[in-house]
Amino acid sequence: MNSSIDPTAATVLQSLRFGTLTIEPEDVLEFPRGLIGLGGHHYTLLDRNPGTGFWWLHSLDDPAIALPVVDPRSFFHNFVLQLSDDEHERVGAGDLDEAQLYVTVRTAPNPVDVVVNLRAPIVVWERRAHQVLNTAPGADLQVRLFAPADAA
Amino acid sequence: MLILTRRPGERVVIGEDVLVTVMEVSGQTVRLGIAAPEGLPIYREEIWLAVKEENRAAAEAADALPTAADGLPASADALPTPSQAAPAGKADQRPS
Repeated sequence: MNSSIDPTAATVLQSLRFGTLTIEPEDVLEFPRGLIGLGGHHYTLLDRNPGTGFWWLHSLDDPAIALPVVDPRSFFHNFVLQLSDDEHERVGAGDLDEAQLYVTVRTAPNPVDVVVNLRAPIVVWERRAHQVLNTAPGADLQVRLFAPADAA
Repeated sequence: MLILTRRPGERVVIGEDVLVTVMEVSGQTVRLGIAAPEGLPIYREEIWLAVKEENRAAAEAADALPTAADGLPASADALPTPSQAAPAGKADQRPS
């Protein structure tokens, strides 16, 4: 674990976005391999937008890094997570349906331009998190979260 | 960059515990077998780059939220909610 994170005490996070936050030990997620391209080994999930389905995955190692995420199963009823045997073993969850699951969100001014990355979800099991590669058909890097109103 | 010539069946050892085996060479395609410590993720470069770009883009988009510069809590309005758009077309969306 990062030496700046005490697993037995609350962490005070000086978030560039949200100001000073106190993160309890049980709310710290450990990323043994970090987020791809962003690194960091400790993150937390912030519910700054209650009721919207959006969470903020905030780094505890870098106060500038925060990504909006959603649980894909909340938005896509037909979402499937399919992992290689190695990835499944790395995640540690016997039953993936019982694990927490998030995907990163590319926000945009127009909601119909917002996309999520279903190809590389983040699986959380017992407070350990891994960004994995989803090999399920249709699990693309950019999938529109909302459809245009006239497409319904 | 270290450049090595290997034949099918021959290996390259990286460090103490990563073993790369040339499995097959066929035309422009080379099949590699990689033995690495458990838990060490291995990606095709193009996939790794693409996911990296998505992560960075997600972080940048979040930084662009209107209240970010003030160091105040982000506005919920900056993030779309299911009620702002019709149900997704490519995949089913949970009713708001």
